[in-house]
Amino acid sequence: MDKRVLFVTGKGGVGKSTLAASVALAAALRGKRVLLVETHGSKRLPGVFGKRALDYRVQHLTSNLHHLSVTSSKALEEYIVGVIKIRALYKLVFRNRVMGPFMDAVPGLHELIQLGKVMDLERASERGRPEWDLIVVDAPATGHGLSMLNAPASMMELTRTGPFYENAKLVQSIWGDPKRTGLLLVTLPEAMPVNETLDLYARLGDYQKQLALCVLNEVHTAPATSAQWAHASAHFETPALQAAKKLADRHMGRVHRQEQARERLSALPCPQAELPFLGHRDLNLADITQLAQQIEGAL
Amino acid sequence: MSLRVLVCCGSGGVGKTTASAALAMQAALTGQRVAVLTIDPAKRLADSLGIGPLSNTPQRVPLDQLGIETSGHLDALMLDMKATWDGVVRRFGGSPEAQQRILNNRYYGLASTRLAGSHEYMAMQRLYELYESGDYDLILLDTPPTRHAMEFLSAPQRLNGLFDEGVMHWLSLPRSKRGFAALERGSEVVVSVLKRLIGAGTMEEIAEFFDAMQGMWGGFQERSSAVEALLASNETRFVLVTTPAPAARKEAQEFADLLAETKRPFGGFVVNRVVPAPTDKARVSSADLPERPNSVPQDTWEAASLTLLGAAQRQQVLSDGEAQAMAELREQAQGSVPLWPVPELEADVHDLRSLAVLAGHLAPAIEALKQA
Repeated sequence: MDKRVLFVTGKGGVGKSTLAASVALAAALRGKRVLLVETHGSKRLPGVFGKRALDYRVQHLTSNLHHLSVTSSKALEEYIVGVIKIRALYKLVFRNRVMGPFMDAVPGLHELIQLGKVMDLERASERGRPEWDLIVVDAPATGHGLSMLNAPASMMELTRTGPFYENAKLVQSIWGDPKRTGLLLVTLPEAMPVNETLDLYARLGDYQKQLALCVLNEVHTAPATSAQWAHASAHFETPALQAAKKLADRHMGRVHRQEQARERLSALPCPQAELPFLGHRDLNLADITQLAQQIEGAL
Repeated sequence: MSLRVLVCCGSGGVGKTTASAALAMQAALTGQRVAVLTIDPAKRLADSLGIGPLSNTPQRVPLDQLGIETSGHLDALMLDMKATWDGVVRRFGGSPEAQQRILNNRYYGLASTRLAGSHEYMAMQRLYELYESGDYDLILLDTPPTRHAMEFLSAPQRLNGLFDEGVMHWLSLPRSKRGFAALERGSEVVVSVLKRLIGAGTMEEIAEFFDAMQGMWGGFQERSSAVEALLASNETRFVLVTTPAPAARKEAQEFADLLAETKRPFGGFVVNRVVPAPTDKARVSSADLPERPNSVPQDTWEAASLTLLGAAQRQQVLSDGEAQAMAELREQAQGSVPLWPVPELEADVHDLRSLAVLAGHLAPAIEALKQA
């Protein structure tokens, strides 16, 4: 996969941050210069690598891997000062109690500005070569993620002219280029999360062609397939095995639902990768490292 | 005063929508007239209720299909942001001409449903409409997924802040020439900078929208105070849905602290997908296995046997983490807050019958909440 920007999204609680970090780490271990971006001021990942989280500053995490936490207020300031050129004027106009709510009222502005920041980073170069080989965005969950993707279009529809319009158009043209950017959807192997993923795909519109990879996370394993279990398990109906069979039935029910989820997801026109269930744990480096090795092949 | 409103909160992926539907169903099965209002754009609630697409108007859930006799009933609805906004404008927008001015504004059409806090605010509005109608004994609100707990609770203030006189004053001033000379000069600079950034035409539309909304401000604010009062009253309980997973638990705990700080009535935690520990009887060895029947191929038999022998161990790994998580939640709750565990179900909740199984597990929760 030779995309320059990967946008990782999915329903809440499916392991987006862990996966985004794993993908970034895998690419960094392969020698790429990688920037891992968190949006909306979120900065959970530096701590996992034993670093103190910084505001809106690129920070080294490990070998080729760097991190940036983007906040819309900082990105907006950077952008507007760039347009009107006078920092004092920016302060006069935007640093007062009414401007915050007003800027909140411009639809898609916060999302657009953050997306724009990522696109600036994509184009940044150092001595004639791109500063970053790969940028991985740990994007907000489904609904918020979708409004982030649609932000340039919202802004263009609203303004129809002016610097914000031109900026949105530029962001759209870079972001909408499937050669440069790809979408990575994360989901769990259960009916509801899969429904949501298929639903999200349907709502992607023009971005559908950007879908690069779909990851089934927290996959449970068993020595038998559900078909093998169905074939043999009736012979375990003895009093001594009753309790164990009940547990195994329950687990194989899970495996069966996984098989159905896998089948339904295969309708999406992109490669599929699977990652194992590692236990209910908080975001941690051991898991990220292990998953980085496992996702490596799919990248 | 009896319980009229349950607000279900929780982070993404904990089964909040399904838990809200199950709590609502359980209340209906105990004879109450219940409505469940969901905000979720993914329409997951309709999936599990086995009815068609949900809409802004209540739809009756066919509880009779469960074969359980009840005098209660269950209605389900999904928030339609645009329709609720339009309703608010019609209600507080003054003369028909003034209302039309807002409804026809291009910026209103594009932005109203996307204003920060607007989802949460309109959910509370719709909740209050249902409450006022008197049609229901109990209303459940499935809150929108938020990045932070505070996003939901502070939504009315954020939206009110937007229509606060300050913003309108600055933006509409060049049109109506109010206020002090100093402010006027300040806002002329603001307006000219904004015009440069987003275009004069757009700026004009936005200013016109804020100008028109000014008339609604009083009604708006009065209404949100009423909703706020209801959500802080003894008729309401907040229920926090979580799973034993650390991230979900942490967020639920933060939400609980926030409820306490802001003096909102907390009902308890619903802890979803708890895995029970395996019993000793489930630990079996290969000596317990029967002979392989001839009808089953060798490799199938071996795979199935290993699956059986490893079942208890797998369950143990899952339940160890969960038992510890429950203990931690209990400790944090210091015994004063109820914890309602729901075991991990054998199948996804995908229809009425499987939802009823979940509802059964939540019977103690409904019982306790009604008494509180």
